[in-house]
Formats: sequence, structure tokens, C-alpha cells
Amino acid sequence: MLGSAPPGLAPAMPARDQRAPFRRPGPAATPPPSCWSALEPLLPQVRKPAQYVGGEHNQQVTAWEAAETRWLLCYPDTYEVGQPNQGIQILYELLNERSTALAERAYAPWVDLEELLRAEGLPTFSLETHRPLWAFDVFGVSLPHELGHTNLLNLLDLGGVSHRAADRGPDDPVVLVGGHAAFNPEPLAPFVDAAVMGDGEEVTLEIDEVVRRHKQDREPSGALVGADGAEVRHALLRSLAAVEGVYVPAFYTPRYSEDGRLKRTVPTERGVPARVPKRTVQDLEQWAYPRKQLVPMTETVHERFSVEIFRGCTRGCRFCQAGMITRPVRERRPETVQRLVEQGVADTGFNEVGLLSLSSADHSAIGPIARELADTYEGTTTSLSLPSTRVDAFNVTLSNELTRNGRRSGLTFAPEAGSERMRAVINKMVSEADLLRTAEVAFSEGWRHIKLYFMVGLPTETDEDVQAIADLAIEVYAIARRHGKANKVTISVGGFVPKPHTPFQWAAQDPPEEIRRKLTLIRHAIKEHRGIKLRTNDPEEGVIEGLLARGDRRVAAVVERAWQLGARFDGWHEMPTLEVWRRALAETGVDLDWYSYRERDQREALPWDHLDAGLEAEWLWEDWQDAQSDQQLDDCRWSACYDCGVCPGLSLEHDTGYTGGYSLPMLPQGLGTSARGPEALPTAPERYAGGG
Amino acid sequence: MLQRYRIRWTKVGRTRFISARDLTSVWERALRRADLPIAYSEGFTPHPKVSFPDALPVGVRSYGEYAELTFAAPIEPAADLAALSAALPAGMDITTYLEVPDGAPKLAKMLRVTLWELAWPPVDQTELRALLTTRADELLASTSVEVVRRRPDGDRTIDVRPAVLALAVATRPGTPTRDAHTVLRAVLRNDGPTVRPTDLHTALAAAEVAAPAAVTRCVQGTQVPGGVADALDGEVEPLVPDVDAEAA
Repeated sequence: MLGSAPPGLAPAMPARDQRAPFRRPGPAATPPPSCWSALEPLLPQVRKPAQYVGGEHNQQVTAWEAAETRWLLCYPDTYEVGQPNQGIQILYELLNERSTALAERAYAPWVDLEELLRAEGLPTFSLETHRPLWAFDVFGVSLPHELGHTNLLNLLDLGGVSHRAADRGPDDPVVLVGGHAAFNPEPLAPFVDAAVMGDGEEVTLEIDEVVRRHKQDREPSGALVGADGAEVRHALLRSLAAVEGVYVPAFYTPRYSEDGRLKRTVPTERGVPARVPKRTVQDLEQWAYPRKQLVPMTETVHERFSVEIFRGCTRGCRFCQAGMITRPVRERRPETVQRLVEQGVADTGFNEVGLLSLSSADHSAIGPIARELADTYEGTTTSLSLPSTRVDAFNVTLSNELTRNGRRSGLTFAPEAGSERMRAVINKMVSEADLLRTAEVAFSEGWRHIKLYFMVGLPTETDEDVQAIADLAIEVYAIARRHGKANKVTISVGGFVPKPHTPFQWAAQDPPEEIRRKLTLIRHAIKEHRGIKLRTNDPEEGVIEGLLARGDRRVAAVVERAWQLGARFDGWHEMPTLEVWRRALAETGVDLDWYSYRERDQREALPWDHLDAGLEAEWLWEDWQDAQSDQQLDDCRWSACYDCGVCPGLSLEHDTGYTGGYSLPMLPQGLGTSARGPEALPTAPERYAGGG
Repeated sequence: MLQRYRIRWTKVGRTRFISARDLTSVWERALRRADLPIAYSEGFTPHPKVSFPDALPVGVRSYGEYAELTFAAPIEPAADLAALSAALPAGMDITTYLEVPDGAPKLAKMLRVTLWELAWPPVDQTELRALLTTRADELLASTSVEVVRRRPDGDRTIDVRPAVLALAVATRPGTPTRDAHTVLRAVLRNDGPTVRPTDLHTALAAAEVAAPAAVTRCVQGTQVPGGVADALDGEVEPLVPDVDAEAA
């Protein structure tokens, strides 16, 4: 054919022992080749090519030679899912603000592009400059959940880096993971160099400094001149392990008893801590990031300017890993929220603002925050959203305030369980009366659609508890109909997956057949009520998540095998990988039932016991016992401390407006009382008024 | 007091991969960053009044995109549209603007023809140029040239010939940053059944010539002797690329 493009456009990938020149600090470095000109002709052949081009507003590009340390930050899923991630954006901005560092971003290429990349010999690349993964010093990967594990291995392999840490040498990137799923990194232990526990702001900068010094030590006249490759890598891992909150799995080994249960995970390297503590940023005011948020040029899952209004949650829902591992509660001041929003909306051009946290209506000054923002944007095309699922009338009032500009379409509440008993077990302190009253208020104030979140497969659950989900939905729907024939109720029911560092970490997970049976019970019970919509996920989806959430180091063999057999994007409906995982389980001899569907006892060590999320093991166990006898526990923000261990253990405290005798209508009705009444928006606590 | 402007803009570099679907929010955010008083539609989900006469296929470069913007308050067009251009992603630039008087014909009516450019990499230049020239002459000499457009939802036969007003083949010499390459330029009518540059490639030499490495929409407007006059400012883009002018 005439006019065919000449082949061989892909820049050569240098052998591993030839990569040192690209990695030198500062001007001594040879910039690695960009793969843009080889990638560009492939893009018309793939779905959604705009996700691979970069060039977004607020992207940061630093010359390779201008930096001493170079990070590639990665969210191991598609751009569409990963781009809005706040953790990555915070670290991206912090690292790029540092004069000696540069940070670029990478996401997982969808399978169509991966196939082309492999055929053309192109690597995992950065979005900003399309530089190859292998040339960076640190590959920093955020793991918000367990379903990115195979993508992580795939990105490494595609990026010219061995997926096994033991096979990596002095001129390979450090593979670092963080995020909630890093609180049990054992199923990834052979693949990652280090896991970071907890808030990333401070520790990332400390790690950057360690890497910078390590690179200096390798320069002529440095301390590591003459050391062989293994010594150099070992020295780097040792200095990383010396940073508080950094766990280097290679320096620990699990010991098992004869029946296969874990006895203990013990350090094997002199000087490393027996338990690695999580990092916690005490004062969010000092870390007002991300300020310069990236504005995508193609569709993503959350297109808005997001501000984290507080971090941590002490509601104590026993199933909730996020609420357990991010304690204590640290609030951002209302005036800081207002400033971040105003500057961010003007800077990015987003037309929506999201106020993020684990339960946004719980901010002690949420009323003033909402009112001030609603005033600022009244009559404009900027809309406000508060992802809160709290079940009370106050939440409805807040939502009314935030939707002054627009339509009152749908409200979401999360009772999580159907029966009063079951909600006591999970410590979700919402009564049926609360929920019905809340629904009444919502529909009477013009909301037309209520969405309710529930779980099945919770510990101690009986069929009556499951049936109660349907009963509750039917009652809420009756209220909906009274206020309008077109009003709707959707119930979204998921299968519960027990997570590490929670009181339910000892619980047995329901197998998918059991989840399916319970969903069928609900489906039957609501069959005659056409206005109730039931949304469920495939029960099989929780299987891989459950295995990886509580797996130990022996599960790593399954992850590796599943990836080799082609598992990718395990969280996507489009990629049904469960059969691949079942084959990997069979080939590696790992017993899924033993890992997931078995209740553990107190004597058995857990794979994350040497990783300290701040919670006392004793307290978690007691709370697990309380759960099984339907005992509830108050939120320690506004009741007595119950010694979960976080605050004293980390020399921290809650940073909220609750101190100083100020009280808010935070207790759900029926369990507490409020002098102000549920509809009143609370005013700012005095401590905020004077700015201090 | 609503004010309407028509603009010509570019979509090159990385932005050529932005889909038509995503463009609306890219423009809305740029307008908001530039703090311009764009008018919004009524209703629960108001949309900024930015209209595009037609969609450019994803991946195609363009120096000949157009749009009509309606502002809710008067703007300083030179300064404000320059600010908007700066707020758009790199590769999207506003190059011309024209205030729209009441009663002006619709923008789409002003975009009668398009000048397209198909470019091949710097290989087989003599043969490629000769073959394309012969085929172009044959096409212009015939009255009907049917091609089959393959689609997942069924093949479609279209006659390319009525849309073709002019064709030219040229070799663009190399520059320090770019090798010489072969180009085919075509003036196609915008009314009637849509004929895409890919259809033109199929009609000319699908069996012997690879798909062009780059396709560019150069300009839209009216056909004039020797080229196409831009719909907004009348500047003429010659059919045969002016090699000397480009080198200078």
C-alpha cells in the first residue's frame, strides 16, 4: 500500500541495567523518550481517546532535568474513574509545589489500548508528557479499594518494571501504595516495595526527601558509591522503613500454625517497628489542598469542584472501614471551605461544588457553610451538592438549602439495615420512626424520589431482618404515594463484605448464593409495589473484594495468577473476571471458603495485626461482642470517650466545633433530643467567629 | 440585551481527540474561567448558548471550526474573546470573530463548502502523487462515484461525486520539524448527503493507498476561484497549498 506509515515509531525501551542515565537527579539526567508520537496514531483506534492525551487545565509540567525526584502517581483504573480522586490530586499538587520534585499522573489503559501498546512495544505512560513508567523514581499508587490489584501488576509489567519487588533493582522505581486498601497490603506484599498507612500529606513529603537523599548518596562522592545493586536497593528500603507510617513488607514475615492459621507477622530486619502506625494530619487547616484541581476534557464520574470539609468519622458503624481507619474527626473551618470553593470555582470553571466527607451533614458548622454557599451562588448556574446519606429531617433541610437554584429531584438515605435489631448490630443509630418521619418531611417539601441504601449478608442476619428491608421500603413508598402519584422509591441493596480494622473483621462473609437468595426474598416481597425499584449488584462481585480485603500473604499467589490469566478491571461489569479468579484459586490451591466464609476467633492472628490503624484490638473485639448482643455505641464526638484507642495512641484529638458547650441537632431523633428542633439550621460555633 | 458573535476556532494537537459530546462542557468551563456573561437556556438544567453548526469526527484536526456564542450582556469582543481563547485548552484557539446583526442568515447557511486536507507520511511520494492525480482527474471527469460506507448498523452506499467541487494533489516540502509529505486537498459541498474525507479516500484509491495519516478541516465558507473564502472574514485559503507562503 502506498503512503503507509513507517513502522517502528515506538522509542526503544532500554534494558534495566541501562536506565541509570535517565534517573539521575537534576540536569545530569537524560530525559526519557516521550511515547506521544507513537501513541498518537493509535488513538483513533480506541474508545474514548481523550482520556489518554492529558493537557487538562491545571496540569503541571516540570522539565525532567529540573527535578531531583520524579513521581508517577497512579489510580489503577480508567481515567474516567480515577481522575476525580482527591488523594491523587492533593499529592500531585504538594509534590509539584516542591522545587526539587516533579509529579505526573497515570491511569490504567482500557483493554483496547493495552493490546495496541503491547503490540507496538509501548509502555505505561504518564499523562502529562507521555514518559515511560520505568524512568520515574516512585510509582505511587492509590488503592481506594481492592479491585485495582490486578491492574497494578499489569501497569508495572506494561511499564517495563518487574511486577515482583524482589526482582527490582537499584534503577527501578519504588512501588508505593496508599489509600484505604493499603491497610491490608498483604495480598500485594510480594509486589509492592512499601505501603503507606493513613493520611498522605506529610508522609509523602518525607518519603520524597528520603528518595532525594538516596539519589544523592548514589552520585559520585556519595555514601553508596561502590555498593552493589542489591545493597543500594536494600539501603533505600531501609530508609523508607524508617519513615513513620511506611511499611516495607519485605522486612516482615508471617508465621503460620500447622492448621494454616496465622500466628503472627514478625519483623525480620533489625530496627523496623513491630507495628507500623498510621499517619494522621491533625490540623486540616494547614493542608488546604487540592487548590488547583484538574479539569477533565472528557467525561469522568464526578465533574465538580470538591472540597473535603472534614476527615474522619466516629459514628462507629461497625461495617465501615473508612469510619474506623480515618479517626479522629478533623474539620475544616467554614471560612476556609468558603474560600476554597470561591477560588476553585473561579479557577476551574466547574458548575458544581461537592462538599466531601464521610458524612457531610455531620460538620459542626454545616448549616452556616451551606447557607453561605447557597447565598453566594443563588441565581447563578453553579450548583451545590452534599453527598450525605444521613437519615434525619435536618439533612432534608440542608438539601433544601443547597438546591435553591434547581430542582428537588432525588434524596439518598442510608439506613443500611431493615430491622431495628439489625441496625443495632451494625450500630447504625436510626430508628424506623426517624426514617418514616424523614421521608414524610422530604416528600412534603417537594422531593420526588427517595433512594435508600441497604446491605444484606450482615453478621447475625436472619430472614426476618432481610424481610424488614422490603417492609421499610413499602412503608416509605406509601408515604411517597400520599404526596404524589409519580413519586418514586428506589432501594439499593448490596452484599456486605467484611473489612480489616473494623469490629466485623472476624465475621464470616455470606457466599454469593446466600446473598442471591436474600435478594430474591426482597424482590418477591416488593413485587406488587410497582413504584419501588430494586437495584442490586451481581452478588459474585463481592467475592474477589472479600478475598483480597482479608487475605494474607498466601493470597498474593492468586492475585499474580489471576493477572497472568488475564484478570483486569475486576470491578467492571464489562470484565467478568470471576471465572479467571476461580481458576487461579484452583491452580494455587488457595481455599476461598476458608478465607472468606469462616468466622475467625480472638486467638487467631489477623494479617493486618502488625499494621496499626490506631484502634485497640481489645476495643474492636469488645465492639464485635457488643454487636452480637445488639448493643449500640454512641458517637464520641458528642458523648463520652469509649477508648477506641485512636486519640491517646496518636496524641490526637477531635478537631470540631463541639467543644466549648456548643451542641447541635446531630443525634438522630428518637435516640437523642434537641432543643433547637430538627429544622433549625445551626449557627456557627463561637470558636469560628473570631477565626480561632 | 443579547449579543451574538460568530467565531472561527481551531481544534488541533491533543484537543482533536475531544468528542463532540464532551465539547459543550469544555466550552462552558472556559467561558466561566474567562468570566464572560454567556447566556443560558431556560429550564431546570440550563445550558450555555454556544452552538456548533456540525460535529467534527474525533481525531480529525481542524483550523476551520465555527461556533455561535450568545452573551447576556455586552462584551468587549477583541479583549474578551482573546481571554476566552486563552482559557480554552491548548490547541483550541479563536482565530476570527464577527458580531451577528439581527436578521443575519444562519451560520450553517454561510458554511457552504469545506476545504479538507488528507495527508500521507513522507513515503512513496512520486508514485503516490501520480496515482492520486490520475484518480482525482478520473473522479472529476465522471458523473457518479459510489462508495460503500461500512457501519456496524448496516452498510450504506453513497455517491461521492455530487459533493466534490475541486481536488488538488501536492507535495508539501519538508521543514526543519516536519518531513515532506503528500497531500490531497478537496473542496466538498456541505449541503446534500454528508461526504466525509474517508469516503473520498475510499472513492479514490482505497485498495492501493493507505488511509491518510492526518485529516484536516482547513476552512469553511464559500468557494472562490482557486480556493475557499472563510465564512466570517472572507480570507481565501488556496486549494493548492501555498508552499512558499507556508515556508516563510
